Amino acid sequence: MEKGAALVIDHVSKSYGPQKALDAVRFTVPKGKVFGLLGPNGAGKTTLLRMLNGITRADAGSIAFFGEQLSRRHLPRIGYLPEERGLYKTMRVGEQALYFAQLRGMKKEDARAKLMHWFEKLEVDGWWNKEVSEVSKGMAQKIQFILAILHEPDLLILDEPLSGFDPINAQRVRSTIQEMSNQGDTTILLSTHDMGSVEEMCDEVALLHQGSLVLNGPVQTLRDEARDGRVQVTFRGTVMQFTVALGASAELLEVTSDAPRPGEHTAMLRLPSATDSSQWIHWISGTVQLTSCTEWQPSMRDVFMQAVKETSKVAS
Amino acid sequence: MKTLKHIIYREWSTRVRRKAFWLGTLLIPALLAGSIGISVWMNSGAEKEAKVLVVDASGLISRFDDRREVWLPTHPDCFPERSKLMYRFAPEAMGDDAFLASDFDLMVFFDDGILQHSSAKYYYEKAPAMSTERAISSDLASAIERFKVKRDLELDFETYKRLKTSIQLVGEDVVTRDGNATGRALIGFFFSALLFLQIVIYGMHVMRGVIEEKANRIVEVVISVVTPMQLMTGKIIGIGLVGLTQFALLAALGWLIYFAGGRWLEASDLLKATSDASVSLDFESWMATQSGLRFLLDVNWPLMVTAVAVFFVLGYFMYACIFAAIGAAVDQESDAQYYTIPALIPPMLAYLLAASSIENPEGDLSIYGSYFPLTAPIMMMTRIPMGVDGWELLVAIGGIGIMSYLLLLASSRIFRLGILTRGKRFSWKDLWNGLRSRH
Repeated sequence: MEKGAALVIDHVSKSYGPQKALDAVRFTVPKGKVFGLLGPNGAGKTTLLRMLNGITRADAGSIAFFGEQLSRRHLPRIGYLPEERGLYKTMRVGEQALYFAQLRGMKKEDARAKLMHWFEKLEVDGWWNKEVSEVSKGMAQKIQFILAILHEPDLLILDEPLSGFDPINAQRVRSTIQEMSNQGDTTILLSTHDMGSVEEMCDEVALLHQGSLVLNGPVQTLRDEARDGRVQVTFRGTVMQFTVALGASAELLEVTSDAPRPGEHTAMLRLPSATDSSQWIHWISGTVQLTSCTEWQPSMRDVFMQAVKETSKVAS
Repeated sequence: MKTLKHIIYREWSTRVRRKAFWLGTLLIPALLAGSIGISVWMNSGAEKEAKVLVVDASGLISRFDDRREVWLPTHPDCFPERSKLMYRFAPEAMGDDAFLASDFDLMVFFDDGILQHSSAKYYYEKAPAMSTERAISSDLASAIERFKVKRDLELDFETYKRLKTSIQLVGEDVVTRDGNATGRALIGFFFSALLFLQIVIYGMHVMRGVIEEKANRIVEVVISVVTPMQLMTGKIIGIGLVGLTQFALLAALGWLIYFAGGRWLEASDLLKATSDASVSLDFESWMATQSGLRFLLDVNWPLMVTAVAVFFVLGYFMYACIFAAIGAAVDQESDAQYYTIPALIPPMLAYLLAASSIENPEGDLSIYGSYFPLTAPIMMMTRIPMGVDGWELLVAIGGIGIMSYLLLLASSRIFRLGILTRGKRFSWKDLWNGLRSRH
C-alpha cells in the first residue's frame, strides 16, 4: 500500500458479459488533492466510481482506501455526487436533507446545524420547508451537492458536479470545492468532461479510454509532455510573404487570417526538433513583422483529444 | 440496523401523511356500504313494472264476471296486485300486432294441456327480469295447485295449507357450537377479499416506489449509502406498516361505528319497532333477535382481526418481494404489466377460490388452497371463521415463511441487478441470469 495515498486502484477489471468495462486499471489518488478522472463516454469511469461506492464489485484487482482494503465499512467516509442524481419529489427539502444525513450515520441535531450552515452558504436557506417538486433544477443541484459534502467525507467523489448550473452558481460550487481542497482534509475525485474545470481545479488526472488507463499524472506535466515543438506566431503583412519567408525552416500547420486583430494573422508552426527556437525567432523577425511568438501550450482538451485519438488508432 | 430504521420511517411517514391515504381509509367503509346499497338498489330496480295478460284457454284459473263483464282469476289471492306486477285475464290470445300495440308487456298462454305438460309459453317484446319471471311462475303454479287441491283432494285450501309442511335446517358445529355456517363463510370471504385487495394494492405500492426511485434518479445516491437489500427490505417493511396502519384505523373505525351506532339505535325507538320484544333492548340483544344478523355475534372478532393482521403481513411480504423485483426490472409502470400479470395470477386464483368456497367452506379446495403458500394468506381467511386446527395455521404460516424467504433471496438478486439498469426492460432470460448471478 502506498503511503499518503487516498486510493490505490490496483489492476482493477470488470466485465458485463462480453463487454470489458475496466481492464486492469491501475493508478493512485494522492491524499488531499483534487484528482480528475477523465475519459470519453463509455470509458469505464462510472463503473469505477460505483466500485468505490460499493455499488458494484471488481471481477479482479483491488482498491485500497487510505491504506486499507476498501469495504462497505468505509462508505460513511465517502461522499458521492453521482451524475445521475435526483431527490424524492414529495418530500420537503429539509426533511430529505436530514434523511440522507442520518443514512450516512450523522446525528439529527448535528446534521441540522451543518445543513443550516451550508444552506446559508450556498443560498438555499428559505427552501427548508418547500417540497422538492417546487424547487428549481439549479437549487436541487445545490441541495444534492450539500448532501454529498455534509458529513465531511475523507474522499469526495463528484461526477460532473457543475452540469446544470448557471455560471454564477457553477463558480460558487467550484470555489467550495477548491476551499475544501485547500483545507487539505478532503481528497476530491472529480469526474468531468469540462476540461476548463480540470485545468482550474485538478492537481492530477487519470484518463480512461475503452476501459483502459491511457494517461496518468499531474496536469501540468501532462500538458508539458504533450508539447510537440509547435510555435504560435502572430504577424503583419500577407500570408504569401510569410509563407515565402518561412521556406523550409518550419512546417506551417495552420493560418488564421485577421486574428487576433484586423491586418494580423496567426500561424501555427512546427519547428524541426534540432532548431534553436530563439535563433529562429530572431531570424524570422528580420524577414516578417512579428507581433508575438509563443511556444504552444496544449490545453487539457488538447491532451484529452490527442490521447483518445492515439488510443483509438492503436485499437483499430 | 439504524439505516434500515430510517428507510422504514421515510417510507411509512411520507405515505401516511398524504391526503390520499386518509381519504382512502375513510372511503373503504363508505365504498363497502355504498356497494352493498347499490347492489340492493339495483336488485330492487331490476324488477321492472310489468303488465301481464294471462290467456287461459284451459279455463282452469279464470272465470268471466258477468256483472263487471271482465275475466277475473278464480282465486284472486293467487294473483296479488303487486306494485310492479299487474295481471289481466282473457280466454283468447291476441294477435302479434295487437299485442305490440297494447300496453301489455307479457302474454302468458295456458293451453288445454297445462295439467299434463306443466309448462306455459309466454310472449314479450322486451325480455322480463328474472325476478319478474320467477314471480309470475310462482303465482301461476299457486293457482294451478289450488285447482288441483280442490279437484283431486276435495280439500279446503286453508286446510291444505295447514297440512303442508316445510323443514328448515338449522346447523350447529359440534366443536364451536356455532350455527349459521353460511354467515360465517360470508364473513370469511369478506376478509379474504379485503386481504386480497390490500396485498395487491400495497404490493403495487412497493413496485411504484421502486420505479419512482429509478425514474427520479435518486437510487444511485441511496445505493451508495445503503445496500440494495437494505433498501428493498426497508421499503417493503415501511409500506407494509402503512397497510397495517390502515387496518388498525379501519378496525378502530369499525368498532366506533358499531359502538356509536349501537348506542344511537338504543336511544332511538328503532330497535323496539323492529323486534317482537315488548321491552327495550340493548343493541347486542336486538342483534340476537335478528336471524340475518345473529351470526355476527358468534364471530370471534379478536381472532379475525389478529388473523387479518398476521396473514396480511405474511402475504404482503411474500408478494411485495415479487413486486419489488418487478419494479427494479422495468423503467416505467407501463412496462411492468409484462410481469405483473403473471405475478397477479396466484392471488387472483386465491380470491376466486375463496369466492367459490362460500358454497362449500370446508371442501377439499378450500383446505388445500389454505395450505399452499401463494394462496394461503387469502384462502385461510375463509376457513378461520369455520374453525381451523392449530397445526393447520402452523403449516400455512410456515409455508408462507419459507416461500417468502426464497422469494426474498431471488428478488434481492434481481433488485440489485435491475435497480441501476436504465433504458431497457429485462427479458425473462435477463431475469434468469440475474437469479443466477452472485453480484
